[in-house]
Amino acid sequence: MSSMTRGIGQETKGRRSLKRIGLSLGSVVVFYGAMYTLAPDTALTALKASAKISLALCLPLSLVFSVMFLLNLFVRPAQIAGVFSRNTGMKGMLLSAAAGIISMGPIFAWYPLMKKMREEGAGEGPIAVFLYNRAVKPFLLPVMIAYFGWTYVALVTILTILGSIVLGYSMNAVSGD
Amino acid sequence: MKVAISAEDTTLGAPVSRRFGVSPYLIIVDLDTGEWEAVRNPGSSGKRGAGVEAIVLVISKGVNAVVTGYCSPPIRKHLESNGVDVFTGLSGTVEDAVGIYRKGEIQKKQEFESNALDRWSFLRAGTITNAFKSSGNQFATMLPILFSVVLLMGLVNALVPGELLASLFSGSALFDTLWGACLGSILAGNPVNSYVIGGELLKQGVSLFAVTALIITWVTVGLVQLPAEMAALGRRFALVRNAVCFILAVPIALMTVVILNVVTG
Repeated sequence: MSSMTRGIGQETKGRRSLKRIGLSLGSVVVFYGAMYTLAPDTALTALKASAKISLALCLPLSLVFSVMFLLNLFVRPAQIAGVFSRNTGMKGMLLSAAAGIISMGPIFAWYPLMKKMREEGAGEGPIAVFLYNRAVKPFLLPVMIAYFGWTYVALVTILTILGSIVLGYSMNAVSGD
Repeated sequence: MKVAISAEDTTLGAPVSRRFGVSPYLIIVDLDTGEWEAVRNPGSSGKRGAGVEAIVLVISKGVNAVVTGYCSPPIRKHLESNGVDVFTGLSGTVEDAVGIYRKGEIQKKQEFESNALDRWSFLRAGTITNAFKSSGNQFATMLPILFSVVLLMGLVNALVPGELLASLFSGSALFDTLWGACLGSILAGNPVNSYVIGGELLKQGVSLFAVTALIITWVTVGLVQLPAEMAALGRRFALVRNAVCFILAVPIALMTVVILNVVTG
């Protein structure tokens, strides 16, 4: 019974998410429509600016799809669970960072697995490190590089990973793990 | 050496459950020490994705082999690719199954070509199609919001003068970083949106300190997801993690820009 309730809950959540996406896009389109009737020149300028941004994104996005495909081909959720470490030492932190980097999908999709890992004795440090490193997205790097350049992306990536280790030890200290 | 046997109940005398993924219990036996434990199989709910939970349990318990009546091909593939051997076709009691396994009488069924050593498994048509489908779905989910963001940025470009945007930022590295971090903590969604917003704001004259803090906190701090995180991982964990992430974003953003300026001159 409880699993049934959970199933329905998940379905509703999925529908809500689709609704939200439709609403976001719909409201922007409606706003453009309203603007076109009030100030057609400004609306056209905005559309031209959007088209320019879209064009600039075409190549990076095709690369994004390629990297996404390769990750889906080689990396599976069970492997990420295998890489994720319950160990609160440096090795555990680094493994959890690697698991966070290769993980894909929305953050809330990973909460159940993290909850389970926590229940089975995983330290708070590795879980926090995993969640933090989801900011490092290999498949999105083409877009980031297109906007900010290689050097910047390399620096942000390195400092984010280092920051996650600091976070991991801070969480360990707070929780007493 | 640990063996997990799918079981109908929590004792060694329980019958071996026919299906690994949805069996009520898994009895994990340490063959070296003889110790065993019965664990409720999270996959027994039969809900979608339940098999993955059973796989995660087996891997997290350090199991080396699974002994069961039947194991579906996807679950077998995941287990084997994680170094867990799968033995099927077993019946009788859990104790019998352990005895048969100990004697080495059990034959590993070669029902599928793939195993952990098959490094070319990804070349199979099914695997490639699945990867393509998954990528297509993920990409399709990402695009509508990204498109909305692009349209919004077009509006910002047309309506908000660059000078006005830039004036919202004081020019002080610390203040701009904090302001960017606040913005990134409130906003949420796919990180690609933060790159587009950040990149466009940068073109409008907003400082790189603010943009960097926005990009970092976009994923690491989630005020929108906070209730979900608290429900899953606990109130204290979620609050402390988000607070530390916010604080960390400031030095990371400052260091990134300062080092970048040094490197690029």
